[in-house]
Amino acid sequence: MRLLTHNMLSSNVKGVTNGFPLGIEVEKVVEKQVELSADFLINIFSKIEWKALVDASRAVGYAELPDQADASMLDSDEFLRKFHHALLELHLEEGALLCPETGRRFPVNKGIPNMLLHEDEV
Amino acid sequence: MREIKVKGASSICSTNFSDEETHAPQTEFGNDDQNSSLGVQFTPEIEKKYVHRVYDAIAPHFSSTRFAKWPKVAAFLSSLPLGSLVLDAGCGNGKYLGLNPGCFFIGCDISLPLIKICADRGHEVLVADAVNLPYRAGFGNAAISIAVLHHLSTESRRKKAIEELVRVVKKGGLVLITVWAVEQEDRALVNKWTPILEKYDEEWIGPGSPHERSSPSSFKLESIPETEENSLGHVRGFKESSAGRLRETTCQSEEDSAASDNARDVNNQQEYFVPWHLPYHRAEVSGASASALANGLAKKDDKKGAVVYNRYYHVFSEGELERLVSGMENAVVVDRFFDKSNWCIILEKTS
Repeated sequence: MRLLTHNMLSSNVKGVTNGFPLGIEVEKVVEKQVELSADFLINIFSKIEWKALVDASRAVGYAELPDQADASMLDSDEFLRKFHHALLELHLEEGALLCPETGRRFPVNKGIPNMLLHEDEV
Repeated sequence: MREIKVKGASSICSTNFSDEETHAPQTEFGNDDQNSSLGVQFTPEIEKKYVHRVYDAIAPHFSSTRFAKWPKVAAFLSSLPLGSLVLDAGCGNGKYLGLNPGCFFIGCDISLPLIKICADRGHEVLVADAVNLPYRAGFGNAAISIAVLHHLSTESRRKKAIEELVRVVKKGGLVLITVWAVEQEDRALVNKWTPILEKYDEEWIGPGSPHERSSPSSFKLESIPETEENSLGHVRGFKESSAGRLRETTCQSEEDSAASDNARDVNNQQEYFVPWHLPYHRAEVSGASASALANGLAKKDDKKGAVVYNRYYHVFSEGELERLVSGMENAVVVDRFFDKSNWCIILEKTS
């Protein structure tokens, strides 16, 4: 699971008012390089909850992102590289995502989060 | 690829929560009346038995038959702006993930075995329910739902799934939906399907109900010669008759109906079991197929050397997709078409 996906995921357990961001329980993280697309980074930037991305990247061991960011920083190659790295190159392979209100654990195995709810949570 | 092992760190979550996940006893009901009290996100029994479990059992074989990229879907994806984020809800074996290299794709499906196939191919995927997407609103540039909604057994679930697709894209974002049509171009194919003729209520009721049907034999599953639904036109065992000759029509006439033993009235019949033949050499010695056979959810066809599963379909009639979206205030139809026996629609999110 990339941090891009984590930035989009929200707990949809019944009764939860704000299920974002999910907590991260880390067991195994891998880095996989992938080609940088400035077009994509510029497009997605406005959608990203920056604090959640910073917190998530720190949880998986990457501390290079600035605490705050604005669109003007997209002009900087160095910023784009760090943004790209955090967003797309860090993978949570094993661990879990945690609902911020209920603590409900969504397991992540082999990089795949399982967000399916049980019947009593729907 | 560099590996970092970080055990136990959970710097985002500040409180200790218990790991317990309680399970309520199964009391599923699937028809629309009961759904409204239990919630449209509750999965009806017929979908668990004849969609979820089937795809889980047939995943690798199913995936091996799913490689041809549908030109209309490819065209839609290729038309998206560079750098778009595309959400594929019900992505199956991930056939369309990454189809446009200028976009980033995130796929989800309810079937873990299918999702594992996607993950093995390097795609970004998760296990989720199309009726209740675990995504924040307005994140994607586009969303696609290719041959998914026809597996949902109630109108309210189909509607909810469409609402979810619109919810997760941003304003101005596009949604492409394709579903199997009642008006199938290959009539011989439809003749291999089993219409669900029993009262709607009965099968939809799960364990504990006096009306429960545990065996699919009550649904008239005849061992008629059948073909794979994706057999590229090869038809075996189809009874030739003047009325039964294959015709390239999109609409049904009286004459064609008469060719079928079950005299299906295609104007009303939209609920079907569609067979999937899983060759013995593909079915595991023990596991999903063995238990499916034991439970009566699948049958052996020794002549074909295959385990026969049935998949539930609600095929769509002309205009049905439009009707489902007509009440939506935040989306408009920007295109609609019929292609390869599928009804297709493109929506744009307006607010």
